[in-house]
Amino acid sequence: MFEQSIILSAIRDAIDWVLGLVGQDISILPLPVQVVLCGLIAAGGLMGAIAFAVLIYVWMERRIAGRMQARRGPNRVGPYGLLQTVADTFKLLRKEDIIPTGANRILFAFAPMLVLAGVVAAFAAIPISWDADKGEPIMIADIDLGIFLITAIVATEVIGVIMAGWASNNKWSLYGAMREAAQVVSYEIPLGLSLLVPVLIVGDLSLGAATEDQLGGNWLIWRNPFMWAVFFIFYVAGLANCKRAPFDLPEAESELVAGFHTEYSGLRFSFFFMEEYASMTLISAIGAIYFFGAGDLFGLQGSSSLIMFGVLLFKILVSIFVMMWIRWTLPRLRIDQVMTLGYKVLTPIAFFLLLGVTVWDLYDLNDKLWELFSRS
Amino acid sequence: MVETFKDFGFAVKTAIKGMGITLKTFFEKPVTLQYPEERPEVDSRYRGIHFLEQEKCISCKVCALACPVDCIHIESELPEKGLYDWDRFDIDYGLCMFCELCCFPCPTNCIHMGKEFDFSRFSRMDLVRNMLTWEGVSPAQKKEVDGIAAEKAAKKAAAAEAKKKAAQDEPKDTQDEKKDGE
Amino acid sequence: MLNPAMPLPDDPLDRDILIGAGDISTDEMYINMGPQHPSTHGVLRVLLRTDGEIVTEAHPHIGYLHRCAEKIGECLDYIKFQPYTDRMDYLAAMNNNLGYAMTVEKLAGLEIPERAQLLRVIIVELNRIASHLIAFGTYGLDAGALTPFFHAWREREEMLTLFEKICGARLTYNYVCIGGVVNDMPEGWEDMVLDFLDRFEKRWKEYNDLLTYNRIFIRRTADIGVITREDCVAYALTGPMMRGSGIDWDLRRDRPYMMYDRFEYDIPIGEGKMGTVGDCWDRYWVRMVEMKESGKIVRQAFDMLKGAEGTHKAKVPKVFKPKKGECYVGIENPRGELGFYIVSDGSKNAYRMRVRGPSFCNLSILEKLLPGAMIADAVMIIGSTDIVLGEVDR
Repeated sequence: MFEQSIILSAIRDAIDWVLGLVGQDISILPLPVQVVLCGLIAAGGLMGAIAFAVLIYVWMERRIAGRMQARRGPNRVGPYGLLQTVADTFKLLRKEDIIPTGANRILFAFAPMLVLAGVVAAFAAIPISWDADKGEPIMIADIDLGIFLITAIVATEVIGVIMAGWASNNKWSLYGAMREAAQVVSYEIPLGLSLLVPVLIVGDLSLGAATEDQLGGNWLIWRNPFMWAVFFIFYVAGLANCKRAPFDLPEAESELVAGFHTEYSGLRFSFFFMEEYASMTLISAIGAIYFFGAGDLFGLQGSSSLIMFGVLLFKILVSIFVMMWIRWTLPRLRIDQVMTLGYKVLTPIAFFLLLGVTVWDLYDLNDKLWELFSRS
Repeated sequence: MVETFKDFGFAVKTAIKGMGITLKTFFEKPVTLQYPEERPEVDSRYRGIHFLEQEKCISCKVCALACPVDCIHIESELPEKGLYDWDRFDIDYGLCMFCELCCFPCPTNCIHMGKEFDFSRFSRMDLVRNMLTWEGVSPAQKKEVDGIAAEKAAKKAAAAEAKKKAAQDEPKDTQDEKKDGE
Repeated sequence: MLNPAMPLPDDPLDRDILIGAGDISTDEMYINMGPQHPSTHGVLRVLLRTDGEIVTEAHPHIGYLHRCAEKIGECLDYIKFQPYTDRMDYLAAMNNNLGYAMTVEKLAGLEIPERAQLLRVIIVELNRIASHLIAFGTYGLDAGALTPFFHAWREREEMLTLFEKICGARLTYNYVCIGGVVNDMPEGWEDMVLDFLDRFEKRWKEYNDLLTYNRIFIRRTADIGVITREDCVAYALTGPMMRGSGIDWDLRRDRPYMMYDRFEYDIPIGEGKMGTVGDCWDRYWVRMVEMKESGKIVRQAFDMLKGAEGTHKAKVPKVFKPKKGECYVGIENPRGELGFYIVSDGSKNAYRMRVRGPSFCNLSILEKLLPGAMIADAVMIIGSTDIVLGEVDR
């Protein structure tokens, strides 16, 4: 268990050290207890990290939106308005938790947790850095089926959203939920297909293996001419999957009031909010790891894992900036156009690209072209 | 099928163009003001809270009549010509719609729209603003009036004195006359 | 197994087939859009019967902003009613002022000096730009793009500063009054306006890149909410709503008032550039081009102002009592024909006051346009009518 995960073993070492202060040893705890304890601590840390990231993202979004609309954005609370989101969070926490009459109370209360849990759990399989000494990716769980687990576990989010929409006893919410179901389920096809391409090249479903494969500037995006198109498909499908504009139909505020979370308030609302940003981060992280060399920055691979983490974070932030930029520019599509785009455009292109990459790799065209190029 | 792909291509192209515009705005200076610190400079014609030149006002109530919402309340007494004893000149800003119709008919041009625009209050009663800088008779006039009164009093006193004197003198005379007559 | 009696649709998402198809349509439900809905542009309430995403029936309900404006007009003096006209169509208050003032002037037989007329033209056309800017921005909001709204607001805010310089108010101007305009323009105002128009033309191109020619926006608006010429006439639509359907009718040119017959400008009509004639995009585009044309008129009016005679206001008697009679004047508001009908009994207030609001008449076609559209389209169609609820309910 622990040999698969640098983070978990680090947590175990920390517990060991703490127990050492009272003259004890980690071995007094049975192995299942150790695993659960370390897992809980890791999950708590992950949750905290995401909550902190969301604070920054919301601030970023509002500042970026402000500047793109010729205004300033939040600038009062704290330096550059950085603490505005903290203040807003406190406001949300203090708000009354309203459950509408006629709502299914259990589902209504359970839905936001399910939605958030699905996305946060997926981060367990994301390598955040690379340990050069051990030659291992730094992640909570280096699972062989990494990307498969992520796509599977993120899909549970849809169930949560449908639950929220259905349990709210609000017709607008129901519309939002139905749109979400139709949209996310259809866009998982191009998303999955475009993820299949890097998996094909790396030859491993684990994201840790993808990180290792790209060390030293050997990014997947340069591997063959199809990769940029694949990344584009991935990005568009990813946008649709995390309900960002121009695919924000489930919560289309000009049509459905607030979509599936119309009836939510306070903490439960903030869960949906966090989920959106968390899934943006997830998509950005997967994009950075599978196409842009994870934490690698052209030969910095020999350096410390902290720099690698910083580089990865930078790539994620750039991707999130682009997402925000898109959101504050484009109008929203209509639901049938979203479906047309998914099924008639993105899916065929993704299939074609998958085929192209397969043929390219099969005949090793990279090397052949290189030979041709160097000979002339 | 081909149409759909073409459309998708167009969409991406135009989206990138639009994103260019937003990026351009991103690096432009924001046009907003930091309101409570930076206040907008309003023009001299700005129609804000009124101000009243009370010295010029002749309490003719034309403004109150011209007001479409009847938000001006004037009460004054006119004990003597050119002398106004003010009780009240209130404007209810809960009603006022800043149409400037009160300012046009004023014969002495004494009511104006000011530059003040921030007039939010916690209670509706606080929205009724007293336009008077003084109540009763004006300080300038007061001096004048006091002067006149003092003069009058002095005159009266003088007259009374004179009368008294005369009265004092008169009996003397009569006594004298009586004396003379006796 | 497929039902042999049921012909397979060519395109499963073709809405007409979807409505007709018995086996994929679901239970219908009534849904209330508004009065508290983000994109009903105020307090309009539309009762929709929907089959899934598709609207099968729509009933607009109005009256949430009723303020008895017509009755107030009958109870107040003619001059006192002037500020109330601002509050009807608050986005084009100058135009409303003008409509009312012109009606009363016609009733009283007042002659307006040339200079006053030109000042009126300038201010009214500027207000048309400001009003269409809001139409453009909020249409972007309806489509889900928030940035065009703020960009439009940036320019509108500059216009409001210009209005503030000439009349002192930023929204409810009360500038055009019976007999002319309240103030002559201040020193340097002309240069400021011309400078603004120069900058505005550059911004106008930006708007088009940002929203008008955006393919997603075109897909959202083209071929949606098509109004035929016959429907236009039948529903008494006016303004950009009608011109979008290809009917070349503009009161400024066809029933000239003030000095509009002396200016040179084009009247844009819908050509079906992106789809069918009379769709939402056409209506939107008519508004966009009108902004540019209004700029042209303003420039010409400033040129003519140099040689104009008279003052900014005719002499109006203090106690204003038009003689007995009735009259109707219709002018071209940014939203269509704004008409005032006043019956005078010779006293100092009107015996009957009636306002023909363009938004109110344009709204009436929603009942016909919305069925068959999707909910997202319904939002776009309501947006394309560019209603101001203050004027619908009055």
